[in-house]
Amino acid sequence: MKWRYFKQTVFFGIVRLSSLIIVLALGGILFYIVINGVGVINWDFIAKPPTDSMTKGGIMPAILGTLYLTSGAIAVGLPLGIVSAIYLTEYAKQGRIIRIIKVGINCLAGVPSVVFGLFGLGFFVVLMKFGSSILAGSLTLGFLILPTIIGAAEEALKSVPQTFREASLSLGVSKWQTTLRIVLPNAMPGILTGSILGIGRAAGETAPIMFTAATFFTAKLPSSIFDEVMALPYHIYVLATAGTNIEATRPIQYGTVLVLVAVVLGIDLSAIIIRGYMRKNKRW
Amino acid sequence: MDPNAIINMYNVNFYYGQSRALTDITMSIKKKNVTALIGPSGCGKSTFLRLLNRMNDLIDGTRVEGEILFEGKNIYASDIDPVEIRRKIGMVFQKPNPFPKTIYNNIAYGPKLTGADNNDLDTLVERSLRQAVLWDEVKDILNKSAMNLSGGQQQRLCIARALAMKPDILLMDEPTSALDPISTAKIEELIEELKKDYTIIIVTHNMQQAARISDETAFFYLGNLVEYNKTEKIFTNPDVKHTEDYITGRFG
Repeated sequence: MKWRYFKQTVFFGIVRLSSLIIVLALGGILFYIVINGVGVINWDFIAKPPTDSMTKGGIMPAILGTLYLTSGAIAVGLPLGIVSAIYLTEYAKQGRIIRIIKVGINCLAGVPSVVFGLFGLGFFVVLMKFGSSILAGSLTLGFLILPTIIGAAEEALKSVPQTFREASLSLGVSKWQTTLRIVLPNAMPGILTGSILGIGRAAGETAPIMFTAATFFTAKLPSSIFDEVMALPYHIYVLATAGTNIEATRPIQYGTVLVLVAVVLGIDLSAIIIRGYMRKNKRW
Repeated sequence: MDPNAIINMYNVNFYYGQSRALTDITMSIKKKNVTALIGPSGCGKSTFLRLLNRMNDLIDGTRVEGEILFEGKNIYASDIDPVEIRRKIGMVFQKPNPFPKTIYNNIAYGPKLTGADNNDLDTLVERSLRQAVLWDEVKDILNKSAMNLSGGQQQRLCIARALAMKPDILLMDEPTSALDPISTAKIEELIEELKKDYTIIIVTHNMQQAARISDETAFFYLGNLVEYNKTEKIFTNPDVKHTEDYITGRFG
């Protein structure tokens, strides 16, 4: 009896310890970033471009660039992902081909982001002649988050009760109208929350935009989707590895990391808030 | 062919994949009558019901043999659009399944999407809710979510929703099995009222309910139509011993 109790205590201890390590690691990283980065954060840092070989000034073009690229990725990934998921869950005859497609999508989710970057370079930048641009970067990031969005949308569509579909179809409403008017609106909260997590990832990725959209430095803001932009993750990479004054830019590096983490956490937080709000209104 | 019949079916077999769920059903269903389908669970009565508005089409790997004539046309003919059939043959399900929309939009949904005149929607909604004897209870909360209604009210809403399509036939799949006795009584009264204008086919597990509300009763067992007759006859003096055993509760 005592032995069993002892075993239980040990195992619970291990489980608690594991959770603690995760929380401590995350908390440690965030804490470290905040205390090192918060010093440089002020209005000029957010609203001004870099100056003096990036050792002074702000990171406004990079913030804006990340915003553009992320919005572009949403504009590409969300519609494509939702339509694919609708096909997979509502229309396709479940069978071997669909299983293969789903395995393919899962594999796509596991492809390293640098491979997406190279694909973007080869296909959008060179072959399609978009050049290194917001357009090429958005498309690359859009494809990067596509598997996440398809997965989220599939789950959300499947969670819409079958009885809603039956009720609509039994009224003599066509399948397409049923999908559009009943299934999709009820799946939307789930699709959005799942997708926002993918969007957070798009905002934070460096490799896919390295070859397709991001530039080392530009003081002017992009005037069209065919312009290159600065972006937060790439800016961090540049400052930390390729700058002329790596030591002198240290505080700016931390500041930029802090802003990027804040942007990604902000996106995730909005997902949580939206989900909470939608759940409150969901009643089936 | 019976001139009073709205549905005539001949030698109908139905399969889920390899397994046969309905065997050689031949029957005709009378216009503006209540026809009750009874039988133990799994005997094929719900399958039979869903055959009539082609809801079984939604299940992969199902197959129909034989002819089901609705107003003289085979509803499984290749040139028939199942969507059109479902507009004329409405359905009410076992569990109330209103859409997570307002009461008004639950009713207006079908007519709006199938091209009803938008100017008449208000009239249509009121008429349908009155027919389902729900109007007085909900006329002041038409813009509230249908999910706030009680189970019995939700089921009458679903009936109103089906009626808004002005169907010829109303299929009901155990419409009261999820409801309390008072709501059940209301739905039964409603069925009495509706049969003046509609043909009603109802699946029920409740013998008393079948006896109370139906004109004709069909007893199904293991996918076979065992006996189909006037309800009075079935419940007092059935032709088949098997029917009597089921009705008197000796098996089932």
